[in-house]
Amino acid sequence: MMATQNIDDAPWQQIRAQLPKVNGADILIGLPTFNNAETVKPVIQAVTAGVRQTFPSANVLLVNQDAGSQDGTPELMKDAVEECFPIALLNVTASGGGGMEPFPRLSGAWSTGREEAFRAFFSATKDAGATACAVIDPALRSVTPDWIGWLLSPIMESRAEYVAPLFLRPRYEGSLTNTLVYPLNRALYGTAMRFHAGGGCGISGSLAGLYLKQEFWRERVARSSLDTCLTTVAIAEGQGLCQAGLGEKLGPSAAGGEDLSAVVAQTVGAVFYFMERYQDFWEQRTHDRPVLHTGIPYRPEPDRGPINIDRLMRGFRQGLRDLLPIWEIILSPDTLSGILPLGLIDKDDFRFPAQLWAQTVYDFALAYHEKVLHREHLLKSLTPLYLGQMASLVLRTQDRKPEEVEECIEELCETFARMKPYLIERWRFS
Amino acid sequence: MKEMWQDAMLEAFHETSRRLGLFVPKLLALLTFLALGLVAGWLVKTLLMRLLSALRFDSFCERMGLMPTLARAGVLRPASSIIGRLSFWTVFLVFALMGIDALSLPATANLMSLLVGFLPNVLASAFLLLFGVLLANFLAEATLIAAVNAQFHEARFIAHLVRWGLYLFTGAMVLTQLGLAKEIVVAAFCILFGGIVLALAIALGLGGRHIARDKLERRLRRRAAEEDELTHI
Repeated sequence: MMATQNIDDAPWQQIRAQLPKVNGADILIGLPTFNNAETVKPVIQAVTAGVRQTFPSANVLLVNQDAGSQDGTPELMKDAVEECFPIALLNVTASGGGGMEPFPRLSGAWSTGREEAFRAFFSATKDAGATACAVIDPALRSVTPDWIGWLLSPIMESRAEYVAPLFLRPRYEGSLTNTLVYPLNRALYGTAMRFHAGGGCGISGSLAGLYLKQEFWRERVARSSLDTCLTTVAIAEGQGLCQAGLGEKLGPSAAGGEDLSAVVAQTVGAVFYFMERYQDFWEQRTHDRPVLHTGIPYRPEPDRGPINIDRLMRGFRQGLRDLLPIWEIILSPDTLSGILPLGLIDKDDFRFPAQLWAQTVYDFALAYHEKVLHREHLLKSLTPLYLGQMASLVLRTQDRKPEEVEECIEELCETFARMKPYLIERWRFS
Repeated sequence: MKEMWQDAMLEAFHETSRRLGLFVPKLLALLTFLALGLVAGWLVKTLLMRLLSALRFDSFCERMGLMPTLARAGVLRPASSIIGRLSFWTVFLVFALMGIDALSLPATANLMSLLVGFLPNVLASAFLLLFGVLLANFLAEATLIAAVNAQFHEARFIAHLVRWGLYLFTGAMVLTQLGLAKEIVVAAFCILFGGIVLALAIALGLGGRHIARDKLERRLRRRAAEEDELTHI
């Protein structure tokens, strides 16, 4: 307990050492960086302009935690900040990495050291007595001054405790989120949070304190799916929720080019992880809870390029051919008997029924809970089924308007909610 | 003549009685050891099965893919039951050997010490076998899933290679540990494993280099053409 206290105090001690005149702040803006020299200057300009525009009289503190940039990002950031804003540069090794890793992972990922940075910002927010904290990703090229108002106003006006980002993106982008994470979480927790990841978020001072007490920081889930952790905890802890439409998200992709099965395992694994922790909460959740909205209204955008349906179909069919012995362990006979005939259908007529998809996801959640297979294998073996579901969505809607994809996603949400008793019944007896 | 006949009869009777007097307690000791072996074996089996059940050993074996492997081999019992039976027979065997030793038969004079001396090798081999099979199944499953997700057409073949390669390796290690024809096992393993690798290398290098090049080129080109820059989260 004592050690945890020391770790959590470290960021604020560093800030005080660098900025002796700073005794507290109304708003803390966290900027986690890693080799962001190209974008850091415009982001800082947008942030400072946003603060001046929306909260001219607030006492604002900027805090950067760099994960070991070699392109001079922290120095560029300091140069870009005007003198009227205090900025502190936190050191990774001393800022309270929670005893996880003293040095950043050098995989080149944009999210290097992200969870340590967030934890440091929350710790500093709590110690500074700040009302709100916004974390902005300096790797993005689409940050505008409006982001500050959209992310922080609901908190400063006591209308919400947590403000999640909501981006405008092409209709098939983020399909794993749209067809699995969003419908499943909405059915479980009864909130229409879209679970868009990265970019920026707003957190109240009290919620920051609550986050610091959570166990997930020491788990792998914090490193792989921090946004899911923050959103799910905020929902399950009954915090006031808001989604801020931040426009387009331009910058390095979180998942593009990565191994899809690893992305599926991390993303879905994070949802299942919290299903086990918040079982009592979601089992009794029956009604939808309102979610505030600020910023740009959400709408699906047209495609940026063609979707390779053949590759999706090939992935699904190969899974059906080769992973059947594994699926037999995971899926119920009823679900499996629904999936098997899909391998015989021609591409043009191929459809993955919403009910079958919901049942498949629930079977995977149950198998994860029952540990019928090594969890990494279990989650990765979902990938071909997800490809089949995505192929079905694209085939069904590719010649229609982008808004019709939203109708399909809404249909999925309703199906997941309708089939929730199937999950609860089997979960209780597992 | 009559006295001599009587003496011979009595001597034979006394000698047989003496021998029987010496053997019957040993026989009783054997029977007692066998009875004790049955009771102790049952006790160990019951306790071990309860312990394994509390530790959810069967679920662990299921997760690690041991049960499907056993099922393929026609063994449909749970792993805890198999281990329970093995423990029963091991304990019973130890008691039976003690009983046989109690008979003081010249043919079984060193049997107990020989078997007790060999027991650590048997236990180590059993552990190696269990660990090898679990590892082989785990890695084969991981390979299969990774290969399917990478859309390798030969995913199952690659997974089988991994599984049987590890089975082979485990088998060689177990036989070496048991000291059974050590030199032959090592030589056979080296020849077999080295032969497979060499055959594959020659097959690819000489016979199929053009095919391999074409396939790699096609795969890489296809990958580049198929990349649609879609993000999934």
